[in-house]
Formats: sequence, structure tokens, C-alpha cells
Amino acid sequence: MVTGHGRIEHIVRVWLPVAFFLVLALFPFYWMAITSIKPNAELYNKNVMPLIVRAPTLKHYVDLLTKSSFLLWTWNTMLVAAVATAISLVLGVMLAYPLARMRFAGAGLIAMTVAAIYLVPQPLLFIPLADVINRLGLGNTLTSVILTYPTMLVPFCAWLLLGYFKTVPKELEEAARIDGASRLQTMRQVFLPLCTPGFISAGIFAFTLSQNEFLYALIFLTKTTVRTVPVGVISELIRGDVFYWGQLMAGALLGSIPVALIYSFFVEHYVAGLTTGSVKG
Amino acid sequence: MAKPASSTATSRRKFLKYAAAGATAAISRPWPARADQKTITILHESSFIKPFDEYVTNTLAPAYEKETGIKVVYEVTSVGSLPTRISTIAETGSGADIAMNALLQIIQFGEKYLDVGDLAEEIGKAQGGWYDAGREAVQVNGQWKAIPFSNIGQLMNWRTDWFAEVGVKKFPDTWEELYEVGKKLKAKDHPFGFELGHGFGDNHGWLYPLLWSYGGAEVAADGKTVVIDSDETARAVDFCRKFFKDTMLDDVLGWTDVSNNKAWMAEQISCTNNAESILWFAKREFPEIGKVTDQAMNPAGPKGRFHLLNSISHSIFSFSPVREEARTFMHWLMQPKQLGGWYAVADSYYQPLLHGYDNAPMWNVEPRNIPYRDALANAHLPGWPAPASRQLAESVAKYIVVDMFAKACAGASTKDVIRNADAQLKEIYRSA
Amino acid sequence: MTVVSERLPALGQAARRRAPLSLVLDRESVFSWLMMALPLLFLAALVGYPFFYGILLSLQYRPVAHTGTFIGLKNFITNLHDPIFWQVTANTFIYTGVATFLKMVGGLCLALAMNQHFRMKNLVRALLLLPFIVPTVLSTVAWLWMLDPAFSVVNRLLVALGWPKPGPSWLGNPTLAMVSIIIINTWRGLPFYGITLLAGLQTVPPELYEAATIDGASGLQRLRFVTLPLLRPIILIVTLFSVIFTFADFQLVYVLTHGGPQNATNLFATYAFDIAMGAGQLGLGASIALAMLPALALLIVALTIYMRRV
Repeated sequence: MVTGHGRIEHIVRVWLPVAFFLVLALFPFYWMAITSIKPNAELYNKNVMPLIVRAPTLKHYVDLLTKSSFLLWTWNTMLVAAVATAISLVLGVMLAYPLARMRFAGAGLIAMTVAAIYLVPQPLLFIPLADVINRLGLGNTLTSVILTYPTMLVPFCAWLLLGYFKTVPKELEEAARIDGASRLQTMRQVFLPLCTPGFISAGIFAFTLSQNEFLYALIFLTKTTVRTVPVGVISELIRGDVFYWGQLMAGALLGSIPVALIYSFFVEHYVAGLTTGSVKG
Repeated sequence: MAKPASSTATSRRKFLKYAAAGATAAISRPWPARADQKTITILHESSFIKPFDEYVTNTLAPAYEKETGIKVVYEVTSVGSLPTRISTIAETGSGADIAMNALLQIIQFGEKYLDVGDLAEEIGKAQGGWYDAGREAVQVNGQWKAIPFSNIGQLMNWRTDWFAEVGVKKFPDTWEELYEVGKKLKAKDHPFGFELGHGFGDNHGWLYPLLWSYGGAEVAADGKTVVIDSDETARAVDFCRKFFKDTMLDDVLGWTDVSNNKAWMAEQISCTNNAESILWFAKREFPEIGKVTDQAMNPAGPKGRFHLLNSISHSIFSFSPVREEARTFMHWLMQPKQLGGWYAVADSYYQPLLHGYDNAPMWNVEPRNIPYRDALANAHLPGWPAPASRQLAESVAKYIVVDMFAKACAGASTKDVIRNADAQLKEIYRSA
Repeated sequence: MTVVSERLPALGQAARRRAPLSLVLDRESVFSWLMMALPLLFLAALVGYPFFYGILLSLQYRPVAHTGTFIGLKNFITNLHDPIFWQVTANTFIYTGVATFLKMVGGLCLALAMNQHFRMKNLVRALLLLPFIVPTVLSTVAWLWMLDPAFSVVNRLLVALGWPKPGPSWLGNPTLAMVSIIIINTWRGLPFYGITLLAGLQTVPPELYEAATIDGASGLQRLRFVTLPLLRPIILIVTLFSVIFTFADFQLVYVLTHGGPQNATNLFATYAFDIAMGAGQLGLGASIALAMLPALALLIVALTIYMRRV
């Protein structure tokens, strides 16, 4: 394969398609990056090629970081996403484990109900949810979204985990039971530690959904200090009918960095957890 | 699975512990400050003009707190999300004490608003009287459901340099004359750009006035009889189609409110209909463009000249535990000292609805804004000549009139688009 | 593994000393229901209650901030007579169908391309996931600019090739506007699809390919008869995810076109939102949102049956 012919074939078979997808996926990011370092005069100039920048500036970044509460929003987003994900995983396990391992009357019904919950459209829920949040006295607190995000995350986590749980061999649990461990002990100390890849994949999925959520955050969080990145950026960098494009793009790039980092650490497990569950399940 | 189970368990427990700590920290964040101090919360849409919002938080609120001991919280919501936010507050009965209203909120939330007639009349009497437009914007069945604050008018924005290239020094007086100029300018690669898509304001801003100026209307003055199917409407639609085809960019059919601002700064268009934001932004960020940007009243049609009333006003929620305090605050806010100062920080982006400000110094800051004041004389809500109604709100939310024009521009026949609009409006107004 | 088994006896001894209550708790049904009580309670309070409240709303004439009157199925009948409702229905199905199809085919191609040996594979994989990570509202703002004819690279290319200036209007033409939102949705979802399928591909035992090759199967045949059948479960799961999220999509359209031009891109979620929040008709809005349910359920049942059969 080290012959010249092989190398060309390698490029055609491997790099051509991969490059195609890379360009497709990354071009908008290039656009965001280039937009975020263009001075306004260049940004709005339709006569120059839009893919290059002549006089790059960090002004938009400086403005974003000093004149808006972007860092606070990032912190809020991460906190909300992490806690909502943790809650969703715990609740997801509590649903998925019995469904995966136990026989009991009503299991089918529960599984159906949980599956049906994905289908409930968000726009139907937000007014009554606002009422619940308000009665709990949680308006304008991060807790309001920490509590409401799991409504859409728990079913997904339960579903993903259910698939994963079914692939874990039962022998160890059976051995623990024979040795007299209670079901709770068996679950916590024998079973769950075997399921880390499943948690990582469900967790990452939940985390991504939480940090991207827009509607609940828009309605429940109206103070600058409690906003998340998507809502904060949209509310404060769009003023009337004027978009602060450079800052918006800087925000988009900076906003995706934390999650990108998390992904690059976990992507291996993420993929493993997702596939074990579904391929064999 | 080579990892020892115990270490995984420990780290998971640790993680949960941190997560729980995070949650508790979030929950225990102090909100609201339930001390003895009374708090009035005002909900506002984030202003295009930043100093306008800052004036409340940095000047008005501290001043009021110093005077009365009552804390004023100014809560800002993003443009377009105001209806959602007010709905949530009105439905749940908490979240704010005073709300800013845009176009049609008065009619939707009127039942949750205090009648502030006495206050409004007093303010009007003391400051030169209200414009008719002010009354039209906030009165429901003769009750003042809000105190008018201002109009955010829409005017014609035009590039004086390019108009001059085709020999036009003064903005055309009628739609037909504007059309002739537009044809010439499009030929010179300086097309017009008027929003025909699903934005919040720049579409209605010129399409309803266009319809009225040809004598058409959506509904009769009784607020029940749909009258869109008329020869007048047909003439307006026919004009709109040729106006679009011969003067504009195709892209306007998909525009939202941001698009014409962007196109203006990118020097793509020579004329549009917009609020003051174009001129304001151009003067600061693109001074060269700012110099050749001017504003004019909408052109006249066979039946006159019209503008869209896009007022904002302040209402007090009737369920607010501090409604009396809110009333007192509104009274204070609407006094010349406070009100004048607040108007002044925004140039004339917010046009007062009190005659007392007709010759206020704010108008001298930017003479190009004076048409905004004069446009108030013939500004109306979209459903005019009928008063605002829930049905109107639905017709606006469904973009019935906007899409009637847009479909004609996209190629449908005048008869078809009017028939469709007529059927949909009748369905909507059946419940009136 | 050894560590786990060594710990078991200790656990057992601890358990044996328990009172009989623990035996009751240990019964499968008792344990299961106790375990599920908390999540079910949570879902009942924060999904169940709002959901039934929503159903109640859909049966009322219920302007916002105003008491409702029960009107039976009238809202649903109004929808049946509303041409925009039908347009929205068609839009949502086209949008979901085409975008999901593109993601499926494109994702499979991506997975096959990535399922080869090359350097920096992990980096490439992480980069490919970026579109899925960046908050949708913000990436859509970038697209808003990229789709402007004057700034679109595609248009510049077309104009250079002789297309009349300024080239196609991506958001102004109803068909192109639909194409645009499909492209953006696909751009966002395809990498996720691809990476997930790639993971599936990697679980296919190489022996199967070898056996197929020995039997004389061509590359395409191997794909058709070995790879696809094995991937079917994972294709099903990502497709379901994609259908659910695409069908209920809100943010993208809300930012990009707000349903325009002439409702060409209006979807269930955006239309329901406009009717409930813009028009203040909570009852009617709820009925539109509810209409998504049977449609989505139908789509998912059909998809599941189809995927099982193929």
C-alpha cells in the first residue's frame, strides 16, 4: 500500500469524502470566526470577498466579555446543564433499572408512558409549567430551568439507559443476590458501576440538549444575572431590529467551546454507550 | 470493565455531591429580597437604544428609591418575547407590577390591567393634552387601560445621494411617484427593500398604510364586518405587485425586521420603511452612510397619507400587591422632569404622545426625525377604522394582510389573494 | 471483575442480618414501584399536569388573561378549516421527512468514510460534532448572514458563472426557504447521525466481511447484506431521535424566517406559538400543538414498522 498508486487511492477513498464532510460541517464555523473578527465597516461591505478579513479586530470579543454578562451566562449555562443532567440521570436510572431487570405488573404500561412523554410538544407545556414554577416561587431562578429541563431529558435518559442496561450480563447480579445482597445493594454496588459508558452517552446527550434549550429559558429567566447563553445572547445582543453580528458570532464560538471540550474528552465513551445499547438491545 | 468498581462508585458519589451542592447554591440564591422594603417591578422590552434602558436603572430607579424608599426593578426582555413574557405574568398572576405594552397587548391583557383613566387625564391636562393616537392606542371601551408613553414610528428611509443621481432631491409625495423613482434606481443597481416577510413590525409598518391610502381596510368600523374584498384593496395589491417587481430585491419576501437594517448598512438598498434605528445606527457606526440617509413621511395614495401607530404604553397589573404604589410611581414617572429626561436620552426614537412635547428640545437634536412627530396625526392601529380587538391580534399573528400582499408579489393573482384573505378574515372575525 | 466478586460475600452477610421488612422491599414489584415512584411523581407533576391542562385548554375558547369557555372540539374544527394549518402540516412533514432522509443517507456516507484508517481520526471526529454542539439560535444567526444573496458564497459563485445578479433568493423564495431550513437542520444533525452510525459500524465483526468477501460479495453487496441489517437497530434509534426533534423544531425557524415567506416555512411549533402568544388564543394554540401528537405518533409507529420489516 505504500506505492504511489496506493497513496492516491488512499487520498481518493479516505480523504476526499472526509474532507467533504469536514468542509460542510466547519464552513459555518469559519464564517462565525471570520465575522467575529471583522470590524463593522468590513462586515457590512458587500463588495469585498466575505471569506477574508483585512483588518482583523478583537473588538467584538472585548465588547462581549466586558460590556455584556457573557461569562456569567456561560457559568449559568454550565451549572444548569450539569445539575439538570445529573438529576435526569438519577431519575432515568430509577426508571430504567426496574424496567430492564424486574418483572412486575404494569411494566409495559410504564414503558409506554415514558416513551409517550417524548412526544409531548414543548409549546403545549410552557404556560402551565410557568404556573407551577410560579407557585413554587421559583421565577427568575436557575432552579426553575434545572427543574423543568429534566422533563424532556428524563425520558431520553431512561430510554437510552434501558437499552444499555439490557446488554449488561445478569450473572454478576444473580451472584450478588445468591450471596444475599438486597436489590438496592445489587443495583448500586454491582450493577451501576458496570454501566459507566451508558451514563456518559446519556449524560452528554442530556447536557447538549440542556445547554441548547431556548424556550423555557426565555420564559423563566428574564433577569440578566440568571440568563443562559442562548437567551442572554439573543436578548442583549439583538437590540430592536439591529443585530450585533460580530458579538453574536463571538458568543456563538465561545459558547460552544466548553461543550466541545467535554465532547472531545468523552466522545469515545459516548459512542460506545450509545451503540452497545441499541445494536444489541 | 477493568476499572475497580469502588473507585467509580466513589467518583460518582463525589460528582453527585458536587451536583447537589450546585443545586442548593442555585436554590438558595436570594430572590426576591423579601425584606420590609417594597419593590415595584417594571417589565420592558430591551430598547434599541441602550442608554434608554440604562437611564432607568442608573437614574430614575435610584432617584425614586431615594425619594420614597421604594425599590424599582427594571426587568428587560428581548424583542419579540414581550407578548410571551406578559402572557406568562398575566396567566400566573405574578412576575411584574407594571408592564410595557407594544402594539396589541392592551386588548389582550386589558382585563388584568387597572383602569388608569384619572391618572391619564391628569397627565394629559398638565402636559398639553394627548394625541388622538395615544387614546386610540390604549383605550378599550372608553377605559384607559394604560398610560401612553410614546410611538415608535415607521418612516420612509431614503438615500439622498442615489436619489439625486436620478434627479430627485425631495422625497416623492405619492406611491406612484416613488414607484417611478424606484424603477430608475433599480436599473442603476440601487433597488428598494421593503419587508414582505414575517417580521414583527417593518412589514405592517408600510403595508397597512399602503392599504389605507388606497382606501382599503381589513374590517369596517364596527369591528365585525370584513371589508377586505374591495376594488380599493385590489388597487393597493396591484400597486404593491408592480412596486415589488420593478423596484425591489427578490429577497424582501423572506425578510424579517433585521434584514433591511443590514441591507442598509451593506448599501444594498436605496429606500425602505423602518423605525429610527437605521439612521441612529448609521450615524454612529457608518457616518458616511448616515450623512446620506434621510427620513420622510409615507407617500400618499388616492385616499390620503397614513402611518402605522406602533405605540408603547405602561399598564399596571390589577393583581399586583403594590398596585397603589405602582400608580403613584407612574404618576411620578410621567412628570415632565422624569419623562422629559427619559425621552431625551433616546433622541427622538420614542415620540411623545403628549402635545406638550411637540416643540421640546429633543426634536432639535436631529431635524431629520421631525417627520415622526408629524406622522402622528394620521397614525393608526392595524385594524383601523375598527378599534383594536382580539380578532385583530389573531389576524396580525397570522400575517393575513402581509401575506395577501406577499403572495401577490410572488405571482398569485389579485383576485385569488384577496379571496383567500377574505375567507380567513371572515373565519377570524366570526367570533366578534 | 475480580474486585467485584471479592466484595460480594461481605455484602451478603450484611443483608442476612436484616429484618423481614427488607424481604418485602426486596420483592420485585415492591422494589420496582418504590424505585420508580420518585421519577414518576416528578414526571406526573411537571409533564402530566401541564399536559392535561393543555388538553383542557384546547377544548376552550380561551383568550390569554381571560376566563375560558368550554367549546368542545370547536378549536380542532377551526383548524380543519384553516388553510394555514394545512400548509403548516404539510411543511412539517416535508421538513421532517426530507431532513431526516438527508441525515440518514448523509450520515451513513459519513460513517462509511470515517470507518477507514487514517491519521487524526479522533480530532476529525470531534470537529465533525461541532455543528451539533453550538447553540442552535446562534448558528442560525450565522446562517442568516450566509444566506443573504449579497454575501452568500454560493451566489457569488453562481453570479461568476453567469447567473443574473444577485442570484437565487434563499429566504425570499418559498421553495428555497424550505430548502434552506432543511439544509441547516441537516447540517446540524448529520454529524451526530454519522458519528453514531460510525460507532455502530465499528461493532460489526470483521469476520462477517471476510466471509462475505470470500463468498464473492462486491462492496455494495457487503453494504446491502451485511452492514445495513446489522446497523438497523441503531439507524432506528437515531432516526427516531431525529424525527422527534425535527418535527417539534422551533428555534431555527423562529430566528431565521419566522415562518415566512407566506408561511412557506411555518411549522407546527412556530405556528402554535404565534397563535398562543402572538394572537393570545391559548385554546386554539393548544389545539394546534396537540395536533402534533397524533401526527408524530403516526410517523413514529410507521417508521418503527418499516424499519422492522426492511
